[in-house]
Amino acid sequence: MPRLLPLVLLLQAILVGRALAAKPQLQLLVTQPFLQMRTGPGRGYPVFYVVGRGEKVTVLYSRTDWYKVRAPRGEEGWTSRADLAQTTQASGAPAPIPPYPDFATHRWEIGAGYGVYNRQNLVTAYADFALTDSLDAEFVVQQAFGTLDNREIATLGLRHTFIPEWRRFSPTVGIGTGYQYTQAKVPPNPLETGNQLAYVSLGARGFITRRFMWRFDWRSYVIFTKQNANQEPQEWKFGLAVFF
Amino acid sequence: MEIRLSCVLLAAALTSGCAWLHRGEHRPAPVGVEGSSGEASGEAPIIEPQVTRRVVKTPKIKATDFELGAYFGALSIQDFGTNPIYGARAAYHVTEDIFMEGFIARSTAGTTSLQDVFPSITVVSNSGRRFTYYDVDVGYNILPGEVFLGRGRAFNTDLYTTVGMGDVKFADKDQFALNFGVGMRILLTDWVAMHMDVRDHVFETDLTGRTKNVDNIEGTLGFTVFY
Repeated sequence: MPRLLPLVLLLQAILVGRALAAKPQLQLLVTQPFLQMRTGPGRGYPVFYVVGRGEKVTVLYSRTDWYKVRAPRGEEGWTSRADLAQTTQASGAPAPIPPYPDFATHRWEIGAGYGVYNRQNLVTAYADFALTDSLDAEFVVQQAFGTLDNREIATLGLRHTFIPEWRRFSPTVGIGTGYQYTQAKVPPNPLETGNQLAYVSLGARGFITRRFMWRFDWRSYVIFTKQNANQEPQEWKFGLAVFF
Repeated sequence: MEIRLSCVLLAAALTSGCAWLHRGEHRPAPVGVEGSSGEASGEAPIIEPQVTRRVVKTPKIKATDFELGAYFGALSIQDFGTNPIYGARAAYHVTEDIFMEGFIARSTAGTTSLQDVFPSITVVSNSGRRFTYYDVDVGYNILPGEVFLGRGRAFNTDLYTTVGMGDVKFADKDQFALNFGVGMRILLTDWVAMHMDVRDHVFETDLTGRTKNVDNIEGTLGFTVFY
């Protein structure tokens, strides 16, 4: 037991520390006639409580477009983003609900998709950081599954979006470099297992809803080999992504 | 692109040039009463501001759109029996309907019926018995709802469907695999969810002599945490 004492004290210190560090919670004033509270974060859940005008609610946390709030008498329920946006802070300022990132000016993008690389099935995942509204740095990892070999490809490149303000469809062009690792499925083993590569790409992107978007890309690669000729495979892919 | 880029650079240069020309024009007026009678006569300023501006910091609303967890269950590997499987999953909820999810899991195949009858025949090596996969999926909550436990407890649920693709590594080979699944998420609290999933991993293989699509169906139970 004495050995456990420091541990218990440490645990207690952590718990007390956490309690003290508890952040102040946001309180909002209901200025519309009433604010509906639902039992779950979805449009179909039943309304079980209504907060009247002039009362305050405490905002606990959010999930997608729904906010968990606590009514003055302790009832807790979910209210929609649109409803909560009509409330105000005590000072009269509008409720500080973070706006959706603007599609034209978003910073980060993370996505995955399906494609065809040199007539092989391709699984792709990527992360993309916007240097400016129209110029992005993209990092892609992908795996191509062929009958004779599998290839793992990682690339780093730059992509230019011609007209970022076009939401539904905006063409892109890109350039980059990377590395390809080839693994034979059937003998003989490939002459080279690792090759550097470069690519140019043409593509398009578009907004779907909220933080959701699609992306299409066609790429033409040059794979640098030690043989007489370089390989020049092509690839297309379609992906879905979320942006922040 | 080049013209556009040069335009941007030119604009930036112009702006900074203009700013330089106007430097000091809008310098804020010095605070205090220097130059007035107070300073001249050596007296202290009449008003000494002691009130510091109060910084009002609005608390941020914590978003809980990510889900992370683990699962275990049984995987039926076609021609190789049913075996335990365990894995990890991570999801991001984009809207109340759509989510994106990734899975990674591992199982070990048993023996084929052929091998049971003729023990000398080896279809896959011992190291090849390991069945691992990763998947990237898109999911849709088709039927959100509530379930009731007894008289006083209700849990929010979602019946969802997922579709995606990934890699199945089996018999020391990586294969492209599609997966389709249906699952149920029961939120025990707002933070902790229990999942029950059935998913089929379909891929093409020639392990048993002829090329065919194999269905590998798994039934799993999992727990996740929202954060």
